[in-house]
Amino acid sequence: MRYAADPQAMRLAVALDELVALYHRPSGVTHLLAPPAPELLDALAEGPADSAELLVRLSRLYDLPDAAAGAIAARMEELVLAGLAWRA
Amino acid sequence: MAEDCDKPEKSAEISNDRLASAGRRGVLMLGAVAATSVVTIRPALASTAASVLNCKIPIPDPSHSGKYIAQDGKLVAPGTAGAVQPAPRPLTGDEAKKMINGMSPPGFDPNARQAYVNYIRRLQHGTSGFTCYASLQMPGR
Repeated sequence: MRYAADPQAMRLAVALDELVALYHRPSGVTHLLAPPAPELLDALAEGPADSAELLVRLSRLYDLPDAAAGAIAARMEELVLAGLAWRA
Repeated sequence: MAEDCDKPEKSAEISNDRLASAGRRGVLMLGAVAATSVVTIRPALASTAASVLNCKIPIPDPSHSGKYIAQDGKLVAPGTAGAVQPAPRPLTGDEAKKMINGMSPPGFDPNARQAYVNYIRRLQHGTSGFTCYASLQMPGR
């Protein structure tokens, strides 16, 4: 399963300590995101990717103590459900 | 802002720069499979689910009447190779939702589905059909 998201310019993000309030311009809907959701959306800025590729992209920037493709897929399905990403 | 929307490559650079400028390598927990990381804030819409599904999305917007739709959803000159003809009539919200979910509602060329879906995804504030699409995005619709 590959995922894609709108370019970053389509989102307006405000950091709220541990959370990110994210306004999605195309849909006009606001979401509250906890890690690693904002990081996953940023990682998709490079282009569509599957869970394994997203894991690689995140591991370039972060230490991932509980790295698992299954967890990435679960987070991505949440983002799809919210309308912030889609299955490419 | 509008001109940036067609340059995802540039956005990627900005994104990477921002992350790199943090200057330290953070720890990122991915969480349990059953955890939740996204909460959508739902404005109380006056419209009912029924009216949302009956709203209209013209493809293309009337101000661009006659233009063809490229596979990536951009509007191009009529007759452009690889692009599809305008939708024969505006899509209802229900039809748009079906197309987004991979179905091909009657009355529309199944081969044009992907171009239409990409066009709908690109709808912006001020474009005819945007409010309809935005309403469809509300969880639970």
